[in-house]
Amino acid sequence: MIGGLFIYNHKGEVLISRVYRDDIGRNAVDAFRVNVIHARQQVRSPVTNIARTSFFHVKRSNIWLAAVTKQNVNAAMVFEFLYKMCDVMTAYFGKISEENIKNNFVLIYELLDEILDFGYPQNSETGALKTFITQQGIKSQTKEEQSQITSQVTGQIGWRREGIKYRRNELFLDVLESVNLLMSPQGQVLSAHVSGRVVMKSYLSGMPECKFGMNDKIVIDKQGKGGSTEEAGKSGKQSIAIDDCTFHQCVRLSKFDSERSISFIPPDGDYELMRYRTTKDIILPFRVIPLVREVGRTKLEVKVVIKSNFKNSLLAQKIEVRIPTPLNTSGVQVICMKGKAKYKASENAIVWKIKRMAGMKESQISAEIELLPTNDKKKWARPPISMNFEVPFAPSGLKVRYLKVFEPKLNYSDHDVIKWVRYIGRSGIYETRC
Amino acid sequence: MPYLGSEDTVRELRRALSNPNVQSDHLRYRNTILKVIRAMSQGVDVSGLFSEMVKACATVDVVQKKLVYVFLCSYASLNPELSLLVINTLRKDCQDPNPMVRSLALRNMTNLRLPSLVEYVEQPLTAGLRDRAACVRRVAVLGWAKLHNLQPNSDIDAAVVNELYSLLRDPDPVVMVNCLRALEEILKEEGGVAINKPIAHHLLNRLKECDVWGQCEALKVLQRYRPQSEDELFDILSLLDPSLLSPHPPVMAATVSLFLSLCSGLPAVSLSALERVRGPLLAACGSASREMRFAALCHIQLLLRSLPGLMGAHYKRFFCGYAEPAYIKQRKMQVLVELVNDDNVALVLDELKGYCTDVNTDTAQAAISAIGRIGRSYSDRCLEILTGLLGLKQEHITSAVVQTVRDLVWVCPQCSDAVCLALEGCEETLQDSQGRQALLWLLGVYGERVSSAPYVLEVFIDGVRSEVSLGVKTELLTATMRLFLCRPAETQDMLGRLLHYCIEEETDMCVRDQALLYYRLLHCGIEETRKVLQGRRSDPSLGVLIGRPAEPVSQWARSFNTLEPLRQDAAETDSASGGSAEPVTSDPKPNTDLSDTLNPSQVEMVHTEGASLCPESSADFLASAAGVPLSLSLSPALSPEEFERLWLRRQGLHAERGGEEKEEEEDCVCVEERVHCPAPPRCSPQSLQAALQLVNIQALAFTPPHTLPWRVYLYTHTTHTHSHANAPRTTLILGELLYTGEAKESKGRVKKEADDGEDAGEGAMEGKEEEKEGEEVTDDRLSERETEGGEREEEEVKVTLKQQPRDEEALKAFLSILATVLQTLSSERA
Repeated sequence: MIGGLFIYNHKGEVLISRVYRDDIGRNAVDAFRVNVIHARQQVRSPVTNIARTSFFHVKRSNIWLAAVTKQNVNAAMVFEFLYKMCDVMTAYFGKISEENIKNNFVLIYELLDEILDFGYPQNSETGALKTFITQQGIKSQTKEEQSQITSQVTGQIGWRREGIKYRRNELFLDVLESVNLLMSPQGQVLSAHVSGRVVMKSYLSGMPECKFGMNDKIVIDKQGKGGSTEEAGKSGKQSIAIDDCTFHQCVRLSKFDSERSISFIPPDGDYELMRYRTTKDIILPFRVIPLVREVGRTKLEVKVVIKSNFKNSLLAQKIEVRIPTPLNTSGVQVICMKGKAKYKASENAIVWKIKRMAGMKESQISAEIELLPTNDKKKWARPPISMNFEVPFAPSGLKVRYLKVFEPKLNYSDHDVIKWVRYIGRSGIYETRC
Repeated sequence: MPYLGSEDTVRELRRALSNPNVQSDHLRYRNTILKVIRAMSQGVDVSGLFSEMVKACATVDVVQKKLVYVFLCSYASLNPELSLLVINTLRKDCQDPNPMVRSLALRNMTNLRLPSLVEYVEQPLTAGLRDRAACVRRVAVLGWAKLHNLQPNSDIDAAVVNELYSLLRDPDPVVMVNCLRALEEILKEEGGVAINKPIAHHLLNRLKECDVWGQCEALKVLQRYRPQSEDELFDILSLLDPSLLSPHPPVMAATVSLFLSLCSGLPAVSLSALERVRGPLLAACGSASREMRFAALCHIQLLLRSLPGLMGAHYKRFFCGYAEPAYIKQRKMQVLVELVNDDNVALVLDELKGYCTDVNTDTAQAAISAIGRIGRSYSDRCLEILTGLLGLKQEHITSAVVQTVRDLVWVCPQCSDAVCLALEGCEETLQDSQGRQALLWLLGVYGERVSSAPYVLEVFIDGVRSEVSLGVKTELLTATMRLFLCRPAETQDMLGRLLHYCIEEETDMCVRDQALLYYRLLHCGIEETRKVLQGRRSDPSLGVLIGRPAEPVSQWARSFNTLEPLRQDAAETDSASGGSAEPVTSDPKPNTDLSDTLNPSQVEMVHTEGASLCPESSADFLASAAGVPLSLSLSPALSPEEFERLWLRRQGLHAERGGEEKEEEEDCVCVEERVHCPAPPRCSPQSLQAALQLVNIQALAFTPPHTLPWRVYLYTHTTHTHSHANAPRTTLILGELLYTGEAKESKGRVKKEADDGEDAGEGAMEGKEEEKEGEEVTDDRLSERETEGGEREEEEVKVTLKQQPRDEEALKAFLSILATVLQTLSSERA
């Protein structure tokens, strides 16, 4: 029951507006601009109520997406829908930016037409939408494609069309994780979790059946019972406990619920197979040890040590440590053993960049910050030191055990498929208080 | 944003569109139409091109068709006549062999939103319902809903409704869900889709096939279904159990909502469902998208109203990240306040302290008031933090701290000393009116303990001319008056100046009137002034119970998974009306002893001899308690502030009442009674609280055990059906238990002072005083009596009850319940 969908740029200009229901008047578009986008204060809540109309808004880079309704709807659903909408748009034209939206507005209108009808979400799967959307390849449809729509719409599998053929059957599997940490100055972990995604790119012929296995604790424990105890002990150490996970619609949930095995007929091309979260036994790739000393009222000494905590054969990349400085900083002297460090006055931070760093190493930076004397007695709130990095392993400890492909109708077997697996661990919000 | 030169653009486009060369070239024609749409979305008024676009509609090119339809749907309402021309093309498209074209035509036909076209649309829509392509059926089904929306008053075609009902069995899940949606809209006046057993089971079985949106929709509709038997109910619940743990928050929330409505009669089941959903909810709280996090937090707040212990172990999940938006931080703090207990209080306070210096002032102030809330139960630690914050000399922080401290002192008078010490010197940093008002109030009330109070006020009075805030001025008047009462010598001069200014020069009527009022009040003499200005203060020995009673789930179940929890103040106000809670019902077995205790004909005194003297187990007493079926409930909950207001208002009414206002007095009653029970003064607040809650009586405030006089304040709502009137009557009862430590000879006295006896109120009060003075025998013979029990001289707890509206029978029954609870307690102790 979404009454309308509006897309604005950061100035509040309407880029796209689509009204599905009569109860949303034309002035609703302006009401949101005036009350939210142009409002001076920060956003108070992601749901804004103006004249008995609720505006659910999500911001992606500079773009505001707002769903409007007059009914008392289920808030989580509307947000989930907006995210889905963003996903679909990204799948079609890449990053959501003003430029892209302006260039693709016809496509967006077309998408909005298919995804929502009379305000009810209809079909939101990128793969299935592709057959309905004409804008991508501007060509009229052939007979063959038309018959595909029929089979696609009536058949059970909505995300894959039949008759796909590749000369080389390939599979790319990426385990992308972002590790989040909040650590107290004393090194106590206040909160840590990993949110990960298994992203796949499949170029497989026919209607293959895939089976994906990982070191999920529940599965391994179950197998361990059947096998020898020695094996169970060995693998038990390496298994991980997944707190919660979500799958692409292609995964047979009933099978996952009963046997916890992940089997599916994959969509063609890019898709996200699963999304998961873990909170236990996280390998924190870096440890940040801050030391801040106030020397008098106009000087501050900061020393930060970072320690890499993984196998020394692995290399972490794109390391960036951001050490916030007070607003009244007048000058900074930095000495670092490795990498480059710079004080960026515009960002009020010392940014320390290291290109590569091997495991089990340590590096430190020390800085002297000179402060302007102020009569403002405001205490500096000391924002946390944040860190960015990329490591070639999964901080949750997740490992892909197997990925099997069966296609009974065509004559290629599991061995003929070329499979690529890659692990990337990135920092999410990785903060240490100081 | 009308463009300059938009007319030129339109003219140019028109020329291009009607150029036969363009029309013959597929790609050029399409590009021109694209330009029209682009102009349209940029805000150029291209409605003048309508007829040209209608012509462009007749094409085999699907892309072009789509573009034209986008245009037509936006401008059809401006050109109803010309739109008739489109219909023909659209109807022809509905016969197209390509299902996509068919569905496109059908959708746009219904999207034109023109009532005049309805007759042309119905036939293709009916055909669409039987189309073999699912995507056409999807559109057709919703088309009927749109049609109905166009003419809401038209009759519903029964055949269509039947067809839609039968399409609920469609193999395509989206068609099924769309049918639900369409029927909901079409049959809105009849209360939506009729959910009978076969439909409900069908929906439940196919739930798995649907996508997220479909599941949410079906789960919502199913809320109206009532299973016929317990077995069926549990079958449904076990079927739904997996979706309770669904990784999609919307599905999970919708399932919880359905659980709550199905199990509304089985609180234990719904509670265990909520326990199960804790994991997914916490996961949603940590999800990557902040909006979803926000929604989850709001719902957790809702759950905590009934299950305060649900998230206790996970309090760390509610610590804020530095970069989180303010609205999430503020909600998280509200949750943290609920989760505080003895074990984690130090950590939580430490965390909150960190937020107090947040860059965002709103967040900082929210953190400070959160500390204040925790201060109601851990006042020392919190005051230490709050006073520490004053040292930062930050304007917004000081203001928030002073306001928080004001509210805290009101609830916890025992911390007033620390507050008075901290107040010194903070007037320099205070800028905003709210903070200054709070400071003035504190100075007025605790002026005698803050040595610098007159000097601070003097600064304010000197600057009163430039003061803009009315609130500050009125507060200043009151504070100066109060201070004058306790420190006249220092204040007299400045009070004179202030009154003079306010009366002679002030332009605002409110301030001037208040000043005049005080001026005249001073003429009446100092005693009179004191009586008016120094109202009652909270008794410093009373501690308010912070733990709100756990609300029954049904109180908020209906607002779960809607917009309501997301509204800022929704958490504070209780929307549900009436006590839908699980009430304690006492059976109507008449109790002869008590039935005449409160007989309306006996206005003066009634003996309650023996009535409350038979300690029984709590299970028995319920059966023998009252003469009418009476149920007690705690909802709607009453806050300590409200209680105080109501309690004092009652008192005020008695004091000021003259003989004239009889009609108003009908609806409230005040009763005093003595109940024999020695133990309560010495039992712990917890056990008394637990005992009272067992019968749905809520205690709000206690004096600590073993202090004299010992007091408890409590309230409840009664509901019972009168024998002569059918409608159930609900009343609110407020009560005070007072134990002064006196032993008494007489068994019990009921002073019933109904409001219709003119001066009965005052009479009763006086009577009470006399009685207290008369009984000098205050030796503590508790130990003896505990063993003897029964008939001997007993200590008595004086019960003062206030009821609104008046209902003698209910009051009587309530009294007996209360008495029995107290009896039971003491017998357990003995």
